Amino acid sequence: MHATTYRYATPAKYVIQKLRLTPRGHDGQHVRRWRIEIDHDCKLSERRDAFGNIVHTFTLMGTIDSLRITVDGDVETEDTAGVVSGAVERLPRPLYLRETNLTRPDAALEDYARRFASRPDRLDLLHELLADLHSRMTFDTTRTDSGTSAAEAFRLGHGVCQDFTHIFIAAARTLGIPARYVSGYFLHEATSATSEAGHAWAEAHVPDLGWVAFDPANGVCANANYVRVAIGLDYLDAAPVRGSQSGGTAEELGVRVDIRDASVQQ
Amino acid sequence: MLSRTADNLFWMSRYVERAENIARVLHAASRMASVPGTSDGITNEWESALAASACLDAFVASGREVNAENVFEYLAFAEDNPASIRRCLEIARSNARAVRTALTYDTWEAINGAWIDMDRFRSADVSPSGLNRFISWVKEVSLRVDGSAYRTMLRNDAYWFSRLGVYIERADNTARILDVKYHVLLPETEPVGGGLDYFHWSTILRSVSALTAYHWVYRDSIKPWLVADLLILREEMPRSLASCYANLATFLDELARTYGRQGESQRQARRLHARLRNARTEEIFQGGLHEFLQSFIAENNRLGTAITEQYLV
Repeated sequence: MHATTYRYATPAKYVIQKLRLTPRGHDGQHVRRWRIEIDHDCKLSERRDAFGNIVHTFTLMGTIDSLRITVDGDVETEDTAGVVSGAVERLPRPLYLRETNLTRPDAALEDYARRFASRPDRLDLLHELLADLHSRMTFDTTRTDSGTSAAEAFRLGHGVCQDFTHIFIAAARTLGIPARYVSGYFLHEATSATSEAGHAWAEAHVPDLGWVAFDPANGVCANANYVRVAIGLDYLDAAPVRGSQSGGTAEELGVRVDIRDASVQQ
Repeated sequence: MLSRTADNLFWMSRYVERAENIARVLHAASRMASVPGTSDGITNEWESALAASACLDAFVASGREVNAENVFEYLAFAEDNPASIRRCLEIARSNARAVRTALTYDTWEAINGAWIDMDRFRSADVSPSGLNRFISWVKEVSLRVDGSAYRTMLRNDAYWFSRLGVYIERADNTARILDVKYHVLLPETEPVGGGLDYFHWSTILRSVSALTAYHWVYRDSIKPWLVADLLILREEMPRSLASCYANLATFLDELARTYGRQGESQRQARRLHARLRNARTEEIFQGGLHEFLQSFIAENNRLGTAITEQYLV
């Protein structure tokens, strides 16, 4: 269950949003049921973007002082040791070498990446990068925001899963390895199921294996606790919710994500 | 539920569905044979009907000659053909009788009544009108069995197993019809996806009751690659591979929930379902339609085996 709530200090007149909140199936991920609910009458149209993500565009007119988007569903997952096969691939692999504003490395980040360049085996290299990045960076929700670039977060040494992921992608691309951003959900086994946000990690391409999912914020490859929702070159391509409104001011945003392991309840 | 019972229900449905599919193949062949031959004057509809029912080798081995009467007799009534409609209905009934108590009265009546009525057709009337009467009757039998199960059976494991049988068989058959027809219908000089006789393509669509659906979905004249798109990837088309797999994944999920365990058959069904949902027609044609369908048929058989190993033995 993933709920996003907006409150407008002065009512908004027109809201348009793009939602990338609907997972697709691939080997090891099966979407049994999935629903998006919005607490207003609105126009909600579904399409696919260039990456093959399912995107809902919704537009809402009128005076709106609050808005709540809820997604709710069941997904069956299996551990595939991070390997992602059978997923939608719409774009050629070299495209994932392309830099973006959020993933453009500076000299310091390039130097850092090159430390790993001598490893002959690409999978080993990526695992070393994953472990090193995980130990070097501090997880901290107070120092960065959604506009922070990989280079800035790397300089700070602090960030959230989105920053860890951007740095990982920037380093991989510096070494000529196609890499991409993944947004989705992560089930914390130990802690409580409720969190403030979804999750993000990276996929990098490994010869003979295909795309492999690395989560630098947790220092592991993705496993059965991950639900993959959308991919892109960076956060902006894969963000769960992006939108704008006119006429409203000072939106206060509350996000609650509630993920439970359904197999435990049976 | 005993695995023996589950096995009977699964095969009962499979054989009723198989009987209906053979009837559809025969119907398509007789329609095609009823028009004057194409440019070369040679028609091979009856041979392709045998191929689509996976009976060609056995037919040839039995020493019969390929002609309308022989093929009809072989596919509909032959005692020496283990896949003839008559044999399918016989096997369906013996499976149903073994689990009489797991079926509702209506479903049992539909199957048992069909077997009793079968005798009316024993004196094989192989005239075109006799063939059509018989084909319509087989389709009605399947409708009665299917409809009575849908309307009267409890939604529990008995129902799920019988539905799995239907969809495994249906997926296999749609893939075969498409594969055989695609190659039979394309003259050697014609590239795959080239223009072809409208009548033949409309007959194929008709054989899976999809002609009207085609026009609704595409609003276009009949094009071979769109026929493939409709019968492979369109989930709204109830006989398409994607639709069969949406159902297979759902019913296997129900079984997993009921029994609190899941295994290889759930994984296999989900994997194939995801592939079909994520595929696009261009990609299928790039890799070769025939190769795609052959590999699908093999994967579908693998799911049948996985269901057997997990539940039915």
